[in-house]
Amino acid sequence: CPLIQHLHLLAQRLFSDFESSLQTEEQRQLNKIFLQDFCNSDYIISPIDKHETQRSSVLKLLSISYRLVESWEFPSRSLSGGSAPRIQISPKLSELKTGILLLIKANQDGADLFPDSSALQLAPYGNYYQSLGADESLRRTYELLACFKKDMHKVETYLTVAKCRLSPEANCTL
Amino acid sequence: MFHSPPAKPGLTSCRSPEKETFTCWWKPGSDGGLPTTHALYYRKESSETVYECPDYHTAGENSCFFNKNDTSIWVNYNITVVATNALGRAFSDPVEIDVVYIVKPNPPEKVTVTVMEDKGWPFLRVSWEPPHKADTRSGWITLIYELRVKLEEEIDWEMHLAGQQKMFNIFSLRSGGKYLVEVRCKPDHGFWSEWSSTSYIKVPDYFHREKSTWILITVFSTFTFLILMWLLHMNRHNLKHCILPPVPGPKIKGFDKQLLKNGKSNQIFSALVVPDFPPATSSNYEDFQVEYLEVYVRREQELVLEESKDLHNSCLKSESSTSDCDSGRGSCDSHTLLMAKCREAKEGERQTDRECSPMRTEAQRRLKDWEEEALNYAHAGIVSLEMSSGRVKTWPSVFSPLPRYSSSPLDQQSSLQMAKQLSLSTSSYLTQPGHSTKEALGQSYWDLCLSSKQPHLLNPPTPVCRELQAHSDVNISSIGHKRAPAGPRSPALHTTEYVEVQRVDNKDTLLLQPVVQGCGRMGGCFQMPHGEVYSKVKGVDSDNVLLLQREGMGEDRCPCVEQETNEVTGSCHKSCTVSTTQKPSGCIYTAVPVRDEMATMANGYVDTATMCTLHTC
Repeated sequence: CPLIQHLHLLAQRLFSDFESSLQTEEQRQLNKIFLQDFCNSDYIISPIDKHETQRSSVLKLLSISYRLVESWEFPSRSLSGGSAPRIQISPKLSELKTGILLLIKANQDGADLFPDSSALQLAPYGNYYQSLGADESLRRTYELLACFKKDMHKVETYLTVAKCRLSPEANCTL
Repeated sequence: MFHSPPAKPGLTSCRSPEKETFTCWWKPGSDGGLPTTHALYYRKESSETVYECPDYHTAGENSCFFNKNDTSIWVNYNITVVATNALGRAFSDPVEIDVVYIVKPNPPEKVTVTVMEDKGWPFLRVSWEPPHKADTRSGWITLIYELRVKLEEEIDWEMHLAGQQKMFNIFSLRSGGKYLVEVRCKPDHGFWSEWSSTSYIKVPDYFHREKSTWILITVFSTFTFLILMWLLHMNRHNLKHCILPPVPGPKIKGFDKQLLKNGKSNQIFSALVVPDFPPATSSNYEDFQVEYLEVYVRREQELVLEESKDLHNSCLKSESSTSDCDSGRGSCDSHTLLMAKCREAKEGERQTDRECSPMRTEAQRRLKDWEEEALNYAHAGIVSLEMSSGRVKTWPSVFSPLPRYSSSPLDQQSSLQMAKQLSLSTSSYLTQPGHSTKEALGQSYWDLCLSSKQPHLLNPPTPVCRELQAHSDVNISSIGHKRAPAGPRSPALHTTEYVEVQRVDNKDTLLLQPVVQGCGRMGGCFQMPHGEVYSKVKGVDSDNVLLLQREGMGEDRCPCVEQETNEVTGSCHKSCTVSTTQKPSGCIYTAVPVRDEMATMANGYVDTATMCTLHTC
């Protein structure tokens, strides 16, 4: 399935663009200091090790990825204000989300993995970032960036695993 | 001994080789002199549970190894190391890590380098394996590779990024060189691994293949170079002439010293004369435009040569005698017998001359120009005279072709036109047939005088002629008029006769033609000869006398010739008192003693000054 490869690449590119858009200072702080404990996507249960990931089905991985991307669709606009590439995150996320959705529908065998709860869960956390004051905007930005980076890496990993599982010949060989 | 609690240890690094396990190392501080133990505690994010390091030994001393069960990805670990001794504890600074960001894989394994050949040119093929622990097959970890190559004797490595592929080709090898190859890898977000162990490879020699081509090229180019040098050497003179052309010497002949030494002045002077000038081509004299010459030898032994007007009006040479009016002087001005015969024409001449005098002076001024122009007419038979004073020069007048003279009036008319054309083209004044109206003639006459473009072929007079001129006091004027056979003569016809030198053929025959049927000069001899009277230079006798011979229709002029011949011997002092006056046709003879300079006459220039009077018949 070439779509997943495309999505994987897209996520990969998105993440790398994001990382490259970070300035040196931000990068340093992100790597060392701002390892955020709380991210808005914490409610999304996702495998946190390889074993779990490999145990999960492709569909599950795809849905989780979808949800992760979707959770960032709105807050990604807050990431802007700085280097220009950040502004492009939002449309790329939309594209990624759409692609994942297509993949899900292509691989879906009737099972609906999109409980409505996902949408409901979004709401209480949707205002999470908006509740903070402006004086902590800089710190908030770094926290956002850290969470975003982590989540994007998750998506990329899940997509890669899913891709390799769907088409083992695509760069996943020995 | 001083004992103290242990110093604060410090976590140096934590690394995960495959994103499944990780290890942390710490560095203990001073132990304070007492046996100190260290313990590592960690806490996972959003959890207050403190765990201790599960494995202190696997990774070595002062390390803590987290196995797969204890490792969570995308989870923040808060790790602290505590040093404890009998006197106290020391806590290190906490370190927060996320395993996904501390991945540093092992170096690639099984690096193999082989020499392969591509169309005769060798290249290195490097292949490797990912570290066995890294799970790239399932896509859990994505590795990118990088390799570096260098020659054994070099210092700097040549880096090549290979991406996710596990094979790489290296080209542009030095034949016979020994290469070192190393590979390393990195996860998409992580640290570079260490370089793999060095692989050595030696490239076989393909030196001879390369060199043989160069040897061939070198030999060939050397050969070509030698040939070129040889050619240059052979042609060095030509090259020298080409690159450094010799400065041309003066083309002016000047005086030949040898000739001077020889003592023959004739030769010297002849050497000065430019041969073949004017050129005596064999072209028909129709092409020539010869103007009428009026040769006038002044009393002062000055020859006033004026351009004579061949028309009736042209004969209006003013009779201003020996005044320096260079206007056309009719034969009436001659002090010779002609004078008496030209009374009639004098009037007309005077008139015209007066009118023309202003132009004359101007014409005189133009002599110099005419001289130059004469060169342009070198081809035409020209008779020119140069005054000793160099003032006036005669020039041949262009006239209609000889045959036309004998042609019918119609032809004459056409010839007139032609003559006109010729004259115009050559900017010489054409003598118009006499049958034209007087006015026209007059016009032409004026034109003659006024024309500054009259081509006057001026021939540098030969010294002989000049000499003759000096001696001659004969007013030689020749007016050749071409007149309509039946054209009535106007009283304005000049009385002077002009010899029209048609040409000098290559037989050194000076063909003369009476330009003016100036019979008037002879006193009423206005009848136009039917035929043209041609004077042809018969030759030069032993006495260097130019023998003229009259040809053509008309009266027999032989007597004239003979007489003239008799007359003209030696110098031109004598005038040709050829009693040819009875001849209606213009009989113009010119005889000029020619000496050694006869050769120069071949140019077509006849020093009419040296000619005897021309007689018109």
